[in-house]
Amino acid sequence: MDAGSIRTTLTLPRAAHALIHEGTPIVGWGVAVFTILTPLILAGGLVYVCVPLLFGRIAPGGMFVARWISITEPWNMIEVFLLGVLVSLMKLGKLADLHFGMGFWAFAVLMFCMAAAVAAIDKKELWDRLEVAKNHV
Amino acid sequence: MYKANSYPPRGAEQGLASCHICEKASPISIGVCPRCGAHLHFRKPDSINRTIALMLSAAVLYIPANLLPILTIRELGIPREKTIISGLVEFWQMGSYPIAIVIFSASILIPLLKIIALLWLCGAAKGMIPYSAKMLGKVYWVTELLGRWSMVDIFVVAILVAMVQLGNYMTVTPGPGALAFAGVVILTMLAAMSFDPRLLWDQLEGKTEPDKINSDCE
Repeated sequence: MDAGSIRTTLTLPRAAHALIHEGTPIVGWGVAVFTILTPLILAGGLVYVCVPLLFGRIAPGGMFVARWISITEPWNMIEVFLLGVLVSLMKLGKLADLHFGMGFWAFAVLMFCMAAAVAAIDKKELWDRLEVAKNHV
Repeated sequence: MYKANSYPPRGAEQGLASCHICEKASPISIGVCPRCGAHLHFRKPDSINRTIALMLSAAVLYIPANLLPILTIRELGIPREKTIISGLVEFWQMGSYPIAIVIFSASILIPLLKIIALLWLCGAAKGMIPYSAKMLGKVYWVTELLGRWSMVDIFVVAILVAMVQLGNYMTVTPGPGALAFAGVVILTMLAAMSFDPRLLWDQLEGKTEPDKINSDCE
């Protein structure tokens, strides 16, 4: 973002960091959890569990990870954050020149992939396969 | 109308409970799910009481969330406090109607509708209000689906606070309303999760007192 001669950039950790330091640490940690931690657990967890399942195996601690995927799923808010970015752009548009960084596009693609992955997965099948794989070992 | 005894047998009567995490049906007597290790209950424990408690806290927080400023803009040293509603009015006056409508739905309408919907669901599950199971099932589904989108205003605050730090010219700091609002969103989400829609079907079949079913068999 360019406003006059001043240039600022935004990254996700910085948004959370700013809230933590500007007097609302609880909200800041919430933002960090919902936009950084849960997508990480969800995406990382799905890959960790599903890739070994392709070969009919279960990753160490696979059941535990799969449980955490179920728990974190409703708290994953990246698509909501993206809407927040768009709203903020409308607010700031009159104030400054805005440019999207690489991170924005990466984030948008991440959102689509994640939504597609979560929609594609059949949880009952995932659990059935995990159980079969576990009994084979 | 169906007679109560014309329904197919229910899992709970056979001593079978569906796991809350992986949905495997197992005998309740073994205590933990053999597949994923979660604790087994016939229905979510203490569902209605928890839902109502969380819902009431959310309803109380909803008031400061809308009255207190969610952020303070300090332009050339002069502070201006913004509430959710004043931000909304600003977009409307700018002519950005779609955004104004999105913010209105996400920040004002959805939390309010969620509070009403969950109280309605709790009343129905307790048997105090007559209802159609099909419709209330949909109400619950929509309630769970939409809840997260209310968070959008908090993210906007986070982005503005991080980006608009232009020294003396303009700075943005978060206000107490942001905390209250984040509280509303999180509490309504927790409330929606602690509600068990199966209580509605139990009520319809005349098999009430699910907490009793739980405690009898544990």
